[in-house]
Formats: sequence, C-alpha cells, structure tokens
Amino acid sequence: MPASQSPLTLAGLAILAAAALVFPWRASDYLLHVTTISIYYAMLASSWALLAGYAGQFSFAHMALAALGGYSSALFVQYTGLPVPVGMLAAVLLPAITGGLIGWLCLRMSGPYLALFTLAFAVIFQLILIAEYEFTRGSLGLEVAPLFGGRAEHLYYYTSLLLLGASLVAMQALVRSRVGLFLQAIREDEDAAEACGVATARFKIMVFTLSSAVAGLAGAFYGHYVGILTPNIVTIPEMGLIVAMAVIGGIESLAAAVIGAIVVYIASEELREFGQLRFVLLGLAIMLTQRFAQNGLVAPLIERLGPRRKGTAEAVDDKAVSGA
Amino acid sequence: MNYVLLQAANGIVVGLIYALSAAGLTLVFSVLKIVNFGHSVLYMLGGYFAYYAIQLLGLPPPLAVVAAMALLFVLGIAFERLFLTPLYSDRVERKDEYAIIVTFGLFMLVENLALVVFGPFNKSAPSFLRGALHLGMLAITYDRLIAAAGAALLLVLLGLFMTRTMLGHVLDAVSQSRDAAAIIGIDPQRFYSIAFGIGSALAGGAGALIGPIFTLSPTMGDLPGVKAFIIIVLGGMGSIPGSIVGGMLLGLVEGLGVALYPVPDKALAYSSAFGALLLVLTLLIRPTGLFGRRHVRME
Repeated sequence: MPASQSPLTLAGLAILAAAALVFPWRASDYLLHVTTISIYYAMLASSWALLAGYAGQFSFAHMALAALGGYSSALFVQYTGLPVPVGMLAAVLLPAITGGLIGWLCLRMSGPYLALFTLAFAVIFQLILIAEYEFTRGSLGLEVAPLFGGRAEHLYYYTSLLLLGASLVAMQALVRSRVGLFLQAIREDEDAAEACGVATARFKIMVFTLSSAVAGLAGAFYGHYVGILTPNIVTIPEMGLIVAMAVIGGIESLAAAVIGAIVVYIASEELREFGQLRFVLLGLAIMLTQRFAQNGLVAPLIERLGPRRKGTAEAVDDKAVSGA
Repeated sequence: MNYVLLQAANGIVVGLIYALSAAGLTLVFSVLKIVNFGHSVLYMLGGYFAYYAIQLLGLPPPLAVVAAMALLFVLGIAFERLFLTPLYSDRVERKDEYAIIVTFGLFMLVENLALVVFGPFNKSAPSFLRGALHLGMLAITYDRLIAAAGAALLLVLLGLFMTRTMLGHVLDAVSQSRDAAAIIGIDPQRFYSIAFGIGSALAGGAGALIGPIFTLSPTMGDLPGVKAFIIIVLGGMGSIPGSIVGGMLLGLVEGLGVALYPVPDKALAYSSAFGALLLVLTLLIRPTGLFGRRHVRME
C-alpha cells in the first residue's frame, strides 16, 4: 500500500529536485566531479541498504557485482563496437543474473554464513580480474570508452542523477509494494515469515537480483565516466566505504543511505589532507553508530521531517513476532 | 617433484600458523556465536606488538610473542566489553548483522590506524634463528620451523586448556547452551569476555609468529584473515579440532593448487582463490564443515 505523500513532502522533494538541477551552474568542475562520484556511491549504498538493511541479507559481494557491471559494459563496448548506452544496459543483465544466482545459492544461509560466502565470492572475483589480464588488463587497469566525448561534466552529472533517480524509483516501488512487507518479515524472522505463507525463496532471489542490477548499473556508469577500471574496486576498503555510508545514514532506509553516501563521500574528499585518518574516523563512526544509534544518523531525521506513515513497518514487526 | 614437496612442506608450516589464528576465531564463534570480521587486524597487531617489544624493550623473540598475546588478550576484552555487550540483551534485534557491522568497523578502524601509526612501509621482524634445515633436497629455514613449532605448541596448550581445565569446560558449556549454563550458576557474560580475549590473543600469537617469515605491514592480516574464515568454515564453525585440520588442509590445497594448476604463470595469482573456492563449496555442500555441530546462532 503506497503511503500517501503530504503536500508538504512533495513540495520539499520538488525544491530538492530543483536544487539538484541548477546545482551544476553554481558549482566548480571539481565539486561537480566529486558530486557525480558521490551519486555513484549513493546508488551502491542504497542498493546495498535494500539488500542488507531492508531484507536483512548482509552481503560483501556488492562491489564485486558493481565491478562485474563495469567490466562487462567496458568489454562489451570494446568487442562489439556498439554505442556505450547499449553496453551499459546490456551489462546490467550479467550482475543481475549473478546476484540472483547468489541469492538462490544462499537461500539456506543467513547472517555470518551469507557474509562469509559473499566475501569469498568477492575475493575470487577480484583474483580473476587480476589474473586474466589478457582481457581485463589486470592491475594496470582497463581503459574504458567514455560515455560522452570531450569535457562533459554537466552531462555526466545529469546522467548520474537520472540513473540514481531511476534506481530509487524501482527500489522504492519494490519496498512500497507488498513485497516490501514480505522482505521486512523475512528480515525479522525468516521461519515465521515462511510459516505465514511468505514465499521467502522467491523474494530473496528477487531482492538480490534488483540490488545487484543497480550495483551493476552504477559500476557501468562509473567505468564509462572515469575512463579506467581496476581490480581495486573490489577491495575490502571499498566495500567498507559502502557499509559505512549505509550504516551512518541508516541501513534500513534507502533515502538515508543515499544521503549518508553523498555526505560521507563529499566530506571525505574535502578532508583529503587528513589522509588515512579519515578512514580511521569512518571505522570509528561505524562502530559508534552501530553501538548507540542503530537506525543511523540520517534516518531518524527523515522520520521526524517526513509524513506520518500508517505504521506499516510496525504492523509487519508485530506479525512476524507473534508468528514466531 | 621437489618443487611439489617443498610447496607441501611450506604449506604445512604456514597452515599451522593459520590454524592457530583460526582456532581463535572459531573459539569466539563457538562461545559468542559471532564471526569476528576484525580478527585479521588483531593478527596484524600481534605482529607489530612483538616487533616493538623486541626493538624497543629488547625482549627476546619468544617472550615478545607472549607479551603480544597478553596485550591482545586485554585489548580483546576491552573491545568485547565496549561494543559487544548489546548482543547479550534484547536491545539489539538483529544480532548477526550487529556483530558483523561492529567487528567490520573494528577492522576499518585498526587497519587504518595502523597505516597512520606504523606507516605503510613493510618492516621485517628480527629472525628467531638464522639459517635453514637441509633435508635431502629440501631446505626449510629455522624461522619457519620455529614458527610452526610455536604454533603447534600453542594449539596443544589450547587443546589441553579446553579439555582438561575447569575454565575450558565452562567455556564449552557456555558454547553449547548459554541458558543451560546460566541455570547451573555460570555467568555467561564473564566467559564471553574470556573467550573473546583468548580468541584475540591467539590471533596475536599467530601474527607474532609469522613476523619473521613474512614482512610486517598494516594489511598483512587481510589475506590470512580470509584464510581464517575459510578454515573455520572448512573445519566446521565452532570446532577447534576442525580448525587445526582445516588449517593444514587449506595450506596443502593452496600449496598443491599452485604447483598443479594447469596454467603455471597464473597459478600463483590464483593461490588464494583455491581456498576461497573451498569455502564456497563447503558452504554449499556441507555447511557444517568437517567437524561442525549443527548451525548455531546467538539466542
């Protein structure tokens, strides 16, 4: 059941959208670049939050799936000579299928088992990227055809905004539908959900597929924007950045993860002179947020500002608990 | 053939050290029912603590290993008290995710702090004993032999501790059922701390022992950390004998995998992939591993 939006919220969203649209005219090229990259991270953090926070499937494979999207789009364009947008769309299929496959294989795994499985997947995938250098150019990095010719920071920015918007609409549609309730029920108590007649297998595969497709799309965009892909995308620190963004924002809310990602990334770019110390703080922030504010720092703010929902999440909580 | 033998011998030495680290990880899992994703940085800290104990305090290497373990025991308990206690109450709804995220945060914090404090450059820890043992065509350095012997000794001590002492029995009782242990008068919380402390000390001991064989760096724990995960899954999560067998098996599989992989110039690049593949297959085919109990979770 879609929650009805109050006029106030709609007005707020409209102002936000307008600000995002005029932003390029006011910002320097550097800030625009940083913002575009932060939107790439926002796609990753929100799709990871859908999987890990919303459906409770903690995966370390997210960056590997983003890299899969990036590399397959780059190689597809390189070998077929088709236009880049075609490659990007085609390349979303591979991470989506792979993600769905992981979801299917991991149906019986939960918590630490799933985390370990996906971590091993990421390790293997990174080693393949390094070892198969005939195709991937290994650690040297694969040069990727640009999406737009010449200096086109504005175009890249708008494209990233479009992709983020489309991904959020798709994910939000899932979350707002009955499936969203089923996913929350699976997160709270999978056995109880199953006992209540929720087809847990189907929805777990579904959420893995969608979240991986968004990750793949983000990866494909990143490759064609930055122009080079290296196996470093799959490293643990990079995955840690995604986890930090989602956890600090609020792992159970897509919007909070988006804001968390943009704030964390831009802050970390602005504080570049502090070098590694930024990541020390990020680690500390993960631990402290988790310890003292498990809903994240942004999500409670959104709750307060946003419309009063008719207790949909609580209803499911109660249902899952009473069924346990 | 000699190359294969040498790889196997080295595989067993390194496997023993990985087994030691994994034994710590599995002990934590068996008692607290969590996987510590920060285990690898505790291993790394062990290496650096031993190094500084030798360089700054002038301790002899074997004592430095013990000192590093003691320090990590204390650090482990401090982390457990500060960040894991919410797991024992109903304050946290999804304990699995909480534990993964908070220990992963520990990983990020300590690894980056190490880069700041210790610097990104490799350090080599002083040798236990220079030279090498020659066995026919095989040559194994004394450092490797001593590290393997040290790891074996610590594993034997851990085994004796778990099977022959009251404290070990209590830990086993808590690992089997927290509630049943509480009913007979055991305070589980105290033993969560002790288990996490011992687990951290074992990681530190492994890192301190490997120091003279490989070089020290802030990221030195990353790959062994993944290996520790592989080992505990292979041996069965929560099983200490399983972690020993799993460690040896992993060392052997990676050593032989490299020696026998059909494309020689890629074999080395894939050495860690063989183990990771082992983890994936174990979870798919036999999630309880070689010696594991049925799936266990935090209650």
